[in-house]
Amino acid sequence: MIRIDPEAWAAMVSHARQVYPNECCGAMIGSIDDGAKTVLVAMPLENAFEGAQAARYELRPQDLLAADKAARARSMDLIGIYHSHPDCDAYFSRTDLQNSCPWYSFVVLSIQKGEFHHAHSWLPNFEQTEAAKEELIY
Amino acid sequence: MAKVLIPTPLRQFTSKQDSVTVSGATVGEVLTALTAQYPDLRKQIFNDEGKVRSFVNVYLNDEDIRYLTKDATPAADGDTISLVPSIAGGSALTVTAPPEEVTLSKDEILRYSRHLIIPEVGIEGQKKLKAAKVLLVGAGGLGAPLGLYLAAAGIGRIGIVDFDVVDFTNLQRQVIHATADVGRKKLDSAADKMRAINPNVQITKHDTALSSENALEILKDYDIVVDGTDNFPTRYLVNDACVLLGKPNVYGSIFRFEGQATVFAYEGGPCYRCLYPEPPPPGLVPSCAEGGVLGILPGTIGLIQATEAVKLILGIGEPLVGRLLLYDALGMRFRELKLRKNPECPVCGAHPTVTKLIDYQQFCGVPSAPPVEETKMNEGEIDVTEVKQKMDRGDSFVLIDVREPHEYRICSIPGAKLIPLGEFPRRVNEFDPEADIVIHCRSGMRSAKACGVLRQAGFKRVRNMAGGILAWSDKVDPSVPKY
Repeated sequence: MIRIDPEAWAAMVSHARQVYPNECCGAMIGSIDDGAKTVLVAMPLENAFEGAQAARYELRPQDLLAADKAARARSMDLIGIYHSHPDCDAYFSRTDLQNSCPWYSFVVLSIQKGEFHHAHSWLPNFEQTEAAKEELIY
Repeated sequence: MAKVLIPTPLRQFTSKQDSVTVSGATVGEVLTALTAQYPDLRKQIFNDEGKVRSFVNVYLNDEDIRYLTKDATPAADGDTISLVPSIAGGSALTVTAPPEEVTLSKDEILRYSRHLIIPEVGIEGQKKLKAAKVLLVGAGGLGAPLGLYLAAAGIGRIGIVDFDVVDFTNLQRQVIHATADVGRKKLDSAADKMRAINPNVQITKHDTALSSENALEILKDYDIVVDGTDNFPTRYLVNDACVLLGKPNVYGSIFRFEGQATVFAYEGGPCYRCLYPEPPPPGLVPSCAEGGVLGILPGTIGLIQATEAVKLILGIGEPLVGRLLLYDALGMRFRELKLRKNPECPVCGAHPTVTKLIDYQQFCGVPSAPPVEETKMNEGEIDVTEVKQKMDRGDSFVLIDVREPHEYRICSIPGAKLIPLGEFPRRVNEFDPEADIVIHCRSGMRSAKACGVLRQAGFKRVRNMAGGILAWSDKVDPSVPKY
């Protein structure tokens, strides 16, 4: 289960709408207690995909490293990654799966015609062949 | 001694410590020592071969060790090692937001109103359909429902590749062609029906057989390719061309009462060669013309393909990627097989050996057809008219029909003895090796095999009736139905 604090959630939705019709991406920081994840801060990161960003995103590892450092500085944890699917459902695509990591929650926001539509959180496996849906509360 | 920062989810394996200081002269040694100290961590960082997992980047301070000296990068006291996953992704939509200039007229809004009132489609979705370009390979059994429904759905441009002519045996399932179309080009017949349904659709007719020479040129202008072919060389050709061009290949196949469908070569998903690296030996898998097909079946499978094409364009739902859908019409059951991408796939793997289109006839072991001269009989063959003359003269000879009993019931030649090809080898001793023997089937293929069996058994006077019962109907007795 992953719960996103209203303020962090608002930041994620606003980021996704702002970048529309391109995909946005960012890090989610917060705390984990007995497996219950709470996102307190959304940290927008730059989409570093070289090419059309309407249907692709890429995170720079350095940016992720910086996000992890920022989390540690606040005594928080890096919990997951979020990105948006413009004019597309919030499924975990093949591309998402093959460039994923089993350590984090992946929240996908579906943005339809510039407005937030729905979202899902995904937990990919080690082999990057499947992702399980995680309960998402926002 | 270097400090390794432990990512949050991995701290459950390090007694909840967020960093661990380990000794080791190099980064490789540090990581080995770390996982020796915390064995449960090993699976997280290393794969079964002991290599760092593909999604893990190892950083020494602020540098990726791939750009230093990798595992051998020296780790000094006070250095910090971080494990950073590489992350990317995206909806990977094939058709992204339609260009601004795509608009819907008042008539189109009325026509597509049942689409427009579904929130998941709406005006934007309908514009995506209008902006989309879909290529149908084949205007036959699968191409028929695909063409009709994709035209009705409002796909902006539909290309069709076909060089065939409508014949009577097509009408049992190729519902885009009518009885009056027999003898017309399938392209013309299909395009007329599609235009009649939806005059807004642009139809591009490719009047040719898809080949290694023209495939890339034809496919490159389309967003999605739908494979409605019924032979292995074209199937491999379509697959390889789609992989090389990065186009999704919406695949379907049918046989008797069973069908298959999946989406190949879609954004890193498996391709046809991941499933079937090698074609079956020629002749092992019968085509619909040889084995038959329930006329309704291509309707079911073609519409699954059409559904997937529309979903890919709209970017809704879960595409049929990495899953092979199997349909059994008699049991009325669908099953699903997981398909994995083969990392060693010769065309879509990490190190492809097929980097351009090849000779697919040769790859599939299909001999390129020698020029056929109608009048010249090959050695060991006999023309149907000569068989008729032998009968009329009252010559003493044995005529054997090697078709199946259900075919024999459709039509037969008077005096022919029915021995299905499958029973043939063990019934060879029913015949006199000195006898004059003529063997026939529907078209002359199976009887050629039977002739071979007899000749191997030492029979000398064995001939294959060229063209089979089809030729008999053409040249001797038109009252015999063709099938």
